[in-house]
Amino acid sequence: MNIRHAFKLWVMGLCGVATLAFTPVFDITPAFAHGERSQEPFLRMRTVNWYDTEWVGKSTKVNDVTELRGKFHLSEDWPRAVVKPVRTFLNIGSPSSVFVRLSSKINGTPMFVAGPMEIGRDYEYVVQLKARLPGHHHIHPMFAVKDAGPIAGPGGWMDITGRYEDFTNPIKTLTGETFDSETMGTATGIMWHLFWAAVAIFWVGFFMIRPMYLVRARVLAAYGDEILLDPIDRKVGTAVLLFTLTVVVVGYLAADARHPVSVPLQAGETKVKPLPIKPNPFAVEVTHAEYDVPGRALRMTLHATNNGTEPVTIGEFTTAGIRFTNKMGATKLDPNYPAELVAQAGLTMDNEAPILPGQTVDIKIESKDVLWEVQRLVDILHDPDQRFAGLLMSWTDKGERLINPIWAPVLPVFTRLGA
Amino acid sequence: MFRTDEIIKASKLPPEGVAMSRHIDYIYFIPILFVTIVGTFHMHFDLLAGDWDFWIDWKDRQWWPIVTPITAITFCAALQYYNWVNYRQPFGATITILALLAGKWVTIVAAWWWWSNYPYNFVMPSTLLPSAIVLDIVLLLTRNWTLTAVIGAWMFAALFYPTNWAIFAYSHTPLVVDGTLLSWADYMGFAYVRTGTPEYIRMIEVGSLRTFGGHSTMISSFFAAFASSLMYILWWQFGKFFCTSYFYLTDDRQKTTKVYDVFAYATLANQDKAKVGGKA
Repeated sequence: MNIRHAFKLWVMGLCGVATLAFTPVFDITPAFAHGERSQEPFLRMRTVNWYDTEWVGKSTKVNDVTELRGKFHLSEDWPRAVVKPVRTFLNIGSPSSVFVRLSSKINGTPMFVAGPMEIGRDYEYVVQLKARLPGHHHIHPMFAVKDAGPIAGPGGWMDITGRYEDFTNPIKTLTGETFDSETMGTATGIMWHLFWAAVAIFWVGFFMIRPMYLVRARVLAAYGDEILLDPIDRKVGTAVLLFTLTVVVVGYLAADARHPVSVPLQAGETKVKPLPIKPNPFAVEVTHAEYDVPGRALRMTLHATNNGTEPVTIGEFTTAGIRFTNKMGATKLDPNYPAELVAQAGLTMDNEAPILPGQTVDIKIESKDVLWEVQRLVDILHDPDQRFAGLLMSWTDKGERLINPIWAPVLPVFTRLGA
Repeated sequence: MFRTDEIIKASKLPPEGVAMSRHIDYIYFIPILFVTIVGTFHMHFDLLAGDWDFWIDWKDRQWWPIVTPITAITFCAALQYYNWVNYRQPFGATITILALLAGKWVTIVAAWWWWSNYPYNFVMPSTLLPSAIVLDIVLLLTRNWTLTAVIGAWMFAALFYPTNWAIFAYSHTPLVVDGTLLSWADYMGFAYVRTGTPEYIRMIEVGSLRTFGGHSTMISSFFAAFASSLMYILWWQFGKFFCTSYFYLTDDRQKTTKVYDVFAYATLANQDKAKVGGKA
């Protein structure tokens, strides 16, 4: 390789490094969410059906306490490919710990550790959060199932203002001390790490100040190790050994004396009772379902019977945190629910009339919106198990909400009729 | 104070050669050997024992003192072989753990604090430096790797828990949140949200060791010491395998023989003395 060729390679390498270095400067796009849409639709639609999700206090200051709360129904159509929820944990999907979680309760039971949940039942959760890191954050409730993974709920934006430097989180222990979760133990830990690093550097340095490798290798090969094993090494080694053992013992005893009351890590199992089953006079069954690919619509035929005493009107179909409503359902919407997850006029029926008491009807219902594509729920058609599940919301004339879990196999429609 | 002059004289290197060897020492030791250990061992250690070392709420009485020393002693033993057998340098384990901690702290500051915003106390790593120093000194004093495997490796694992209790004792202080008893470490794991790490992933005193009640730490440490001893032997042999050099010698009868000699360059200078067909 001549000099000219080497210079050419060097310039090319420099250009490559410069390109890499400037790429983040000129082409950087912040990631605002967590890739929840890439989660397979059968996981989002047929495991946890989230509803009534509320991001309380969408803008908070550092140190303010807010809540994420709502309900979920564990779908009766739980996929065969997903492990049953025998060990689950309600989590928060957030870009790192932008909030500190102060409390998490499901049906009033604190959930510090995981526990089993029942398929087909409903649960209500309240998570208390303390604002920690300023910014515009996308926050999800998240249901983690052991051996299946985290299942993301609907995401909503929460803003935190102020300065992180002002954040504190003092907690009183059972021994009467108050620890700040941001700083407790940090100085002690760093001190010990620096101390032991100093001892280790001394030990290595003791040999570094003398020829280390080539010289010793030659001597070892030629004469064996008698010359190399300097008596002072053994003396210093013995001293360092005794010093190390002494410091370990003293450090242990001192820490034990300083923290005489201790408990092992706690890791039991949370036992949560599901919400009581509410009597529902409205019985619904899906007799046929198809997904219209070009029309971006899920069409269902419902066989519904009103066994109650009041007329019932269907207003909403929700699945994977996406809400399809008709005019009536739109009036019941929480205005703070993320608009990007709502298809306000996305639900249509062949007969919008209320279902009268004692009446049995077959209704053709269509949930149609580009959200099927945007939220990548259409990927259901690539599953080996093409089914959907969700919640059908109806209201009586008195305003009582009736929730019916529905599920069925889905037949694909790939072309427009007559096309 | 040192035998340096005697050693240099025995090396039969001219002054320029000695000066050059010191340059090689510095160039090889810091930028090459140390950084290589950081790059290789840090990754391997984190893949095997990472969660126990990352998170304060993983540091239980059973698995933490078992998994960490057993994983850490691997490279220590191999690097001890390399440094001791080739150069009689008794700092292979210490330099390995120093490099591991250098990598750890780069991760803690850059990844956990700066990038992910977790507080330092939540991701504080454990230290194995006293264990490594003791392992090296046992090798220096006994000059015998079998004894080091028995005494040094046992002490390596046994010292782990008492060393780190000084750092983490506070994290076992009890507190009550929502009427539930937690240790401080549990509370930290709950408070600082990890989206992809739900609580059930922790392995907290899982297994039949719990039947020993409050003595699980002692028994875990004993088991870790025993397993570390075996691991030390295995990885010393790995060190031997990867550090053994050989060359082919063709004698006057044109017979080619594979010659094992870890000091190949020295042997090459004295080819007539090479042990043909045998291990050096």
